[in-house]
Amino acid sequence: MSIVTDLLAKPGVIAAGEYAYRGDRFSYRGELSENHARVASIMCRATTMSVNMEASMLEALQPLSGLLPPRGWLVHGPGYTVCVVANVFCLLDNRKGSINDLVGFMCQALAAIPSDMI
Amino acid sequence: MSMIRRLLALDGVNVICHFRDDGYLIEGYGLMSHNDMGRLAQFARDYRRIAQGNADQLAMFSGMRGWTPPHGWIIRGATQSLCGVANLVCVVDSTGAPLNEILMELREVSHW
Amino acid sequence: MTTLDDLMKLPGAMAAFEFRGSGEMLEHRIAYPDRINESTLDLLAHMCAANLSIATMQARGWEKVTGMEGFYPIQEFTLIGFDWSVVVSGLQREQYKQAGKFSLPPFMGVVLANESADYEAAFGLLERKEPVP
Repeated sequence: MSIVTDLLAKPGVIAAGEYAYRGDRFSYRGELSENHARVASIMCRATTMSVNMEASMLEALQPLSGLLPPRGWLVHGPGYTVCVVANVFCLLDNRKGSINDLVGFMCQALAAIPSDMI
Repeated sequence: MSMIRRLLALDGVNVICHFRDDGYLIEGYGLMSHNDMGRLAQFARDYRRIAQGNADQLAMFSGMRGWTPPHGWIIRGATQSLCGVANLVCVVDSTGAPLNEILMELREVSHW
Repeated sequence: MTTLDDLMKLPGAMAAFEFRGSGEMLEHRIAYPDRINESTLDLLAHMCAANLSIATMQARGWEKVTGMEGFYPIQEFTLIGFDWSVVVSGLQREQYKQAGKFSLPPFMGVVLANESADYEAAFGLLERKEPVP
């Protein structure tokens, strides 16, 4: 089973997908239109690129910062949370799902993904 | 003589660096150590990509044309400023430097 | 109001800090000075200020384009680093803004060790609602 299928089976997960670090393609499943999933994948990729660069800048200025390479990031809104680890994104309904479970699962499932493709 | 070196002839330009798409320094001239030029090149490449990613999203959400692809960026500090255009970055004095001329020159040189 | 000392009680808390929207760090607490220092926190605060701003831009754009609400105002931004995570929030400021106050409290952040990080507990603390004085 793919990680996207696993994620969709988790409570509160509305949509999940993967995007290419090069930005040329994405795939997703769940309750999002094709266009909105494209917008989401562009945003997720941009933020992933930014945090990776920021972490490398931080590392250059302050070695052993413990943040490099970043595994992912979360944006927590009042109703929804965006959770991204490596090149996988996931949209969670805050009322129905557990962020800790989701982050734990994604970090474990994607631990072996190399970050040098970013 | 290197084409980018002529930028140093402009008033207020202290350093000019040319870097590859991966941020590796190809050549650099001016008042800075080679190591620091390498760091500057990496920073400029990273900063360009962050600014470009953010501008792409602004264009996507606003629907307004004319933002992307961005030509360059300027970070203006108290006494020193950075100007980046394509794979070039230069350090200039914040006061007295002819910024418009420097940017025009950077754009021209970046096309070579 | 949630304080830095409250944040330091979170599981795996390494440090907690307050910062302005510009990224300038104000108060801070450090649990393990041999592992994280003030200089790193200062850089983190600036980085997190940038990420919160961009996440807010994204939330505004997303809600406008999709009509799907529930992202704005951003409550927290979290970076899950290799060993550590940092969670930052400006939610208390929103509560002050909504109460019509001009003087706003600072942004808050906490650095957590990944192995014991409890993101929900961090969010819960940072989202704690208390009467605006």
